[in-house]
Amino acid sequence: MSGRIQRLPSAHPTVALLARAAAILLALLTAGVILAANGADPLKLVAQVVKSTFGSRFGLEDVGLLVTPLILTGLSVAVGLRIGAWNIGAEGQFYAGAFAATGVALFVPAPDFVLLPLAFVAGGLGGMAWILVPTLARAYADVSELITTLLLNFVAVLLVYYVSTGPWLDPDGHALATTARLPCELPEFWGAVHWGFPLAVLLTVLVAAGLSFTRWGYEVRVSGSNPQAARYAGMPFRRHLILVMLLSGAIAGIAGMFEVVGTVHRLQGGISNNFGYLGIMVAVLARGSALGVLAGAALMGIILNSGIILQTQGLNVSTVLAITGLILFFTAIGDELSHYRFVRNETASV
Amino acid sequence: MIDLRNLSRRGFLNLGVAAGAGLMMPGGLIRPALAAAKPLAPVAEKDAVIAFGHTGPVTDEGWTWSHDQGMKAVQQAFPKLKTIFVESIPYSADASRTFRQFVSEGANMVFATSNYGDFLYDVAKRSPNVAFFECDGRHPMDNLGTYYVAHWYPTYVTGIAAGLMSKTGKLGYVASFPVPSVYSGTNAFLMGARSVNPNATLQAIAINSWFDPQAATQAGTALLDNGCDLLFGIMDEAGYLQVAEKRGAKAVMWNTDIRRYGPKGYISSIVVDFKKFYVEQVRQRLAGTWVPSTPILAMGAGVDRDAWGETVPEEVRKQADAARDKILGGWSPFTGEIKDSKGAVRVAAGKTMTEEELYNWNWSIEGVKGL
Repeated sequence: MSGRIQRLPSAHPTVALLARAAAILLALLTAGVILAANGADPLKLVAQVVKSTFGSRFGLEDVGLLVTPLILTGLSVAVGLRIGAWNIGAEGQFYAGAFAATGVALFVPAPDFVLLPLAFVAGGLGGMAWILVPTLARAYADVSELITTLLLNFVAVLLVYYVSTGPWLDPDGHALATTARLPCELPEFWGAVHWGFPLAVLLTVLVAAGLSFTRWGYEVRVSGSNPQAARYAGMPFRRHLILVMLLSGAIAGIAGMFEVVGTVHRLQGGISNNFGYLGIMVAVLARGSALGVLAGAALMGIILNSGIILQTQGLNVSTVLAITGLILFFTAIGDELSHYRFVRNETASV
Repeated sequence: MIDLRNLSRRGFLNLGVAAGAGLMMPGGLIRPALAAAKPLAPVAEKDAVIAFGHTGPVTDEGWTWSHDQGMKAVQQAFPKLKTIFVESIPYSADASRTFRQFVSEGANMVFATSNYGDFLYDVAKRSPNVAFFECDGRHPMDNLGTYYVAHWYPTYVTGIAAGLMSKTGKLGYVASFPVPSVYSGTNAFLMGARSVNPNATLQAIAINSWFDPQAATQAGTALLDNGCDLLFGIMDEAGYLQVAEKRGAKAVMWNTDIRRYGPKGYISSIVVDFKKFYVEQVRQRLAGTWVPSTPILAMGAGVDRDAWGETVPEEVRKQADAARDKILGGWSPFTGEIKDSKGAVRVAAGKTMTEEELYNWNWSIEGVKGL
């Protein structure tokens, strides 16, 4: 039997799903073998992870809190990818959004029902402001947004460290290197999980619908896959690029707002927890699809939460990181492989 | 154990060895939250779970390693109990997740070996039957105590050695964040140096981390490039000592004896030892007598200077150790007049700062730059 291997432009969804499941299983198996070789009992560890994550309300709440910012930073990156822009700066926009929301919450004297929407808008605008320069530089001077968005991350972190240990430092001194506790917080949705979670899901669905069912979404997708064709067809490529990049920044900024107003309640240097960078992985796992972000963020949240559980079981932080990396590594290979199929040569060669 | 809010400074120093005194001391300064605290029920040793949450890796040969030694001492004293720990916990909501996981795994006592603030309090509030202890904390609760070390005394002692050994009188400091433990470190160090060289100054660089060998190395290099010839800091590892060694400068370190990373540059270290403290607290928890307290371990009882480095001259050792003896005898170097970096008098002439003021020091003295 003869045949050839053919690469498809897009993988069949079922094949992609199977490849992903196989990849995760394979990664866990590899990790299990390594752990067993080091004297740990992998089955006991898995049981503990499953029990702690899904067997208790606390575990599920923890995952919910973890997934909320991951959905939004993942969505931020995924939206950018739709028009071919790599927003590596979700981390910085997250900080900028948290910073702006904190400023509003700390200094605007207003009741909660005014303050919370105001902080939400401020968070979005903060993220947008942080990506504004890279956006204009890309749109008008063709400067790679990959570099500019990345570099601005470091500026944002330092800005937040500066205000939280300087001018906005908690005056009562109970907490070190943070601002005062914010006077308002997002109401609870389910246990410790605040309303940021359903809002993040809603926002994702809205963006996905906008991209799939509107003329704007169609033009954005065409512009992303072939800018020249889009221009030739008379689509305003530059306008779409600017709008989509600003939207991407705003979404990451809202993630920062949710984290500071919903989860942490104080602005401080470590607040981002690398959610901006993890968002890149979520978007890659989601294969750039807006709805896929929900699944990608859930997977990432469960992996990260399992990491904490594994550490309390005596695994050190490097081992946990290695397992996380292994899962993503196998997933990436699986994704690529799912684009190929074996085609049997039907006709005899002449 | 010593409680800073109950004791005069003199009593505090003399009680350094009287372990177990704790909150039994009469005094009016106990916070209401602590005064009302009832002891938690006893736990059988074989059922007990003691958890440690660390800011850095236990292999750092510094701060976290020292606390890990404390955990090992607990294991040795109570071999039947179970200990769990998580290292390198970020200062983010991940910290809450970690502490919550400790509780859900049945921890009876949780030590946070760094200041995690609300991330810890949120969990402590929801777990009233678990004993919590926060190192460098400032917010005791019914089931949460705080503990720290009076590092400013040995720091003052090493500052004298630094003042005598620095040729330029320009001291460098690798800081983490502008927080009280850093202010008390920079201030005590420069006050020691100025007691022998009134023109000494101190330049600090904050790197926003307690454990970041690369950033600490860069900061150390920048400080030496700017004319400093002696480095101090509050890092959990040996990065800037290696820089000093390479450049022929001197360094005072923290946590442990790490002279092998720079034997010529090593002056001394602010060494810490939490073993006794941890064993005693766990003993109380098991016995059902534990109530939250707010001890600060005294010089000679949890914190001290390390043995002097090989290049420290005899005369320098003598002069610095004379001050150490004086402090152990009850004298405090932190007596006015002390001016802040803007020149305003913050401690009046003749007035001595209290332990609580030293613990919460949040301003720089004259001569400190960069915080």
